[in-house]
Parts: sequence; C-alpha cells; structure tokens
Amino acid sequence: MQNKLSFHQSAVTLEIIGLPDYSNNENKDQISIISQWKLTIINKPLIEGKIEHLEPIMNAFYMYSNLLIKNEIPIYESKLIDIKAENLYMHNIVLKSSKPDVKPLILKIGNSLLSDTINCFDQLKESSKIRIKKTDLSNNISKKVRFGLNKKVKFFNFVLPPFIAICSLIIFSAPFIYFYNPIEDKEKNELINLNKG
Amino acid sequence: MLILETIDLNGIQSLYTISNRLNFNDIFPNKVSIWKVRNNNPLRKSYLKNNIRVDEFDALIKITVEMTRYLYPYIREILQSKEDLKNSSVIWDDFNKRFTELIKERFNLDSMRVKKLLNQTKNDEIIINSLLTLSLCISIEGYQKLKNFLFDF
Repeated sequence: MQNKLSFHQSAVTLEIIGLPDYSNNENKDQISIISQWKLTIINKPLIEGKIEHLEPIMNAFYMYSNLLIKNEIPIYESKLIDIKAENLYMHNIVLKSSKPDVKPLILKIGNSLLSDTINCFDQLKESSKIRIKKTDLSNNISKKVRFGLNKKVKFFNFVLPPFIAICSLIIFSAPFIYFYNPIEDKEKNELINLNKG
Repeated sequence: MLILETIDLNGIQSLYTISNRLNFNDIFPNKVSIWKVRNNNPLRKSYLKNNIRVDEFDALIKITVEMTRYLYPYIREILQSKEDLKNSSVIWDDFNKRFTELIKERFNLDSMRVKKLLNQTKNDEIIINSLLTLSLCISIEGYQKLKNFLFDF
C-alpha cells in the first residue's frame, strides 16, 4: 500500500505518492521512496512524472522565479523544461517528455499560478513527512542560465585587470617623458668618455 | 510594507498586532516604534537616519512575512487581475490608485526613485515585482527567502 501526500495552494495541488524506507526504520506514513508525483493546476493539463523529473522541474521553477525577481532576463532552458516570460504577467512553460514521439506539453501560466506552484514546492521541501534529496541548485542550472548569471562578472574579470594595468603603466611612465632627454644623455656619456680618455 | 498597507486599509494596526503575536513587544513596544524604524527608508518624507539595528531589521522582515501569509489570497487576486490584458481590471486599478495615493502622502516626491514609482509604465513593473516577491515568501523559510531577496535587491 503506497502513501499519498498532498500540498495545496489556491489553484495548485501537488500530490506525492511513495513508500517509507523501512530499512531506515521510518514511520509507515513517511515517504522516502517517491514513485510518482502529480501537479494539478486548475484549468491546465495534469503534469505527472517520476522522482527524477521532479527535482529538475522544481529547480527550474526556483531558478526562473529568482531571475524574475532579480529583474534579469527570465529564461530557463534545459532538456526537460523550458520557461520563458511572455510578458510581465504571463509565462510559457514547455515540458519535454523523455519518451520518444511524445509531443512537448505547452502551458501558459500567470504570476498567480506561478507563485501557487512555487509555494506548493516550498511546502514539499519543508514537509517532515517527505524526505527529498536536496541537491545544490547551482548544479542543475542549465548552461544558458549559468552564462546569463555570470556573464557580467566574467566579462569584467576578463577585461578589467589588463585595462587597469595598461592605464597605470601609462600614468607612471608619462612623467618620465619630460625628465628624460635622449640627446642630453648622449652628450653626457660622450663627456664622461672624453674625461676618461 | 507599503504594498501590504495598500491591501490592508488598517495596515499599521495589523502590523502592530502581528508584532505582538510574534512576541516583538521588546523591540516594538508601540506603533510609533514601528513607524520610527520604517522611517529609515530614504524615500520617505519623514526620513530619519536612525541606523536600524539587526534585531529591528529581522523583526520587521518576520512581521512582513507573517502579514503576507494572511494577505496571500488578496495578493494573488491582484496578480491575477492583471493577467487578462484585454479587460481592464477594477481590482488592479483600485490597488494602483491607493498605492499611488500612499506614495504621494508618505514619500518624498522630489526623489527620482519616487518619481519612477509614480511613472505609470515603470510603476506596473515595480508593483508586479514586489507582489511576486512577497507571494513567494509565505513558506516556513519565507523569512530567509525575503531576507535574501532584500540583500540581492
């Protein structure tokens, strides 16, 4: 008999189905081995999958919402899920199936459903009855997002040090142009040589 | 916080009640003490540089998160009201009007940042962003999330 736990937030319900890990002496109402999950958004098609799909989808939503809030370009792309902002209020989600010949599922959700969904994921993460592997978010960031996040820092790190070095070289060497006169120096050397001779 | 006060007409009283419920009586013994801390915002007309203490800052975030939890259905409704671009929404218009009134009443109108808040096109973006930020911070870890968002701002 499998356990079932639901998390609700307004128009979104997240259902987790699985079993406790009896080898760890867990309670029978605990879920550690997730066999299936379902995300129900009112008036939208049902999203369901296995545990290996849940974490990347959760990470995608978290990453995307962070980009939105930080006023960065809100685009998240990965093998499993793409999320893009259509405008300030609507977001396009493309869920790509791992099975061949299955068309991607396209959803359009507003800010209200986006926050409902993330709040459901928050409840799941904070639930003491479900043990979910908490992976480091940054490990799951797609290359495109990762580039977007570090683009500015990397660019400045690359350009700034040589620029400062060249500028300081020019500033320090500029005054010596006025102090050093090659003709005068040549005459001095000749005089020294004459005196020696 | 001004967003929350725009939704809750009796905002300052609610903030004080929540502060008491969270046992912040030592930090905020009365409504004036909350007002004083909020005056650390340089955009306000009555800006006072009090150097906000860490415990005051933390308490203010916890109160904000708690109040957001209560007001989440309203926040959600306002966000949803703007999603249908074809129809103009009464909920959004009312919210925007009251928000603008509160800014004019309490903020320094000579500041460029305040002028940006009153600019119709920029204003929508700022309000949506603030509402979304608040709506994502209602979980148990909401306090930490909001704190992180504020530090990143």
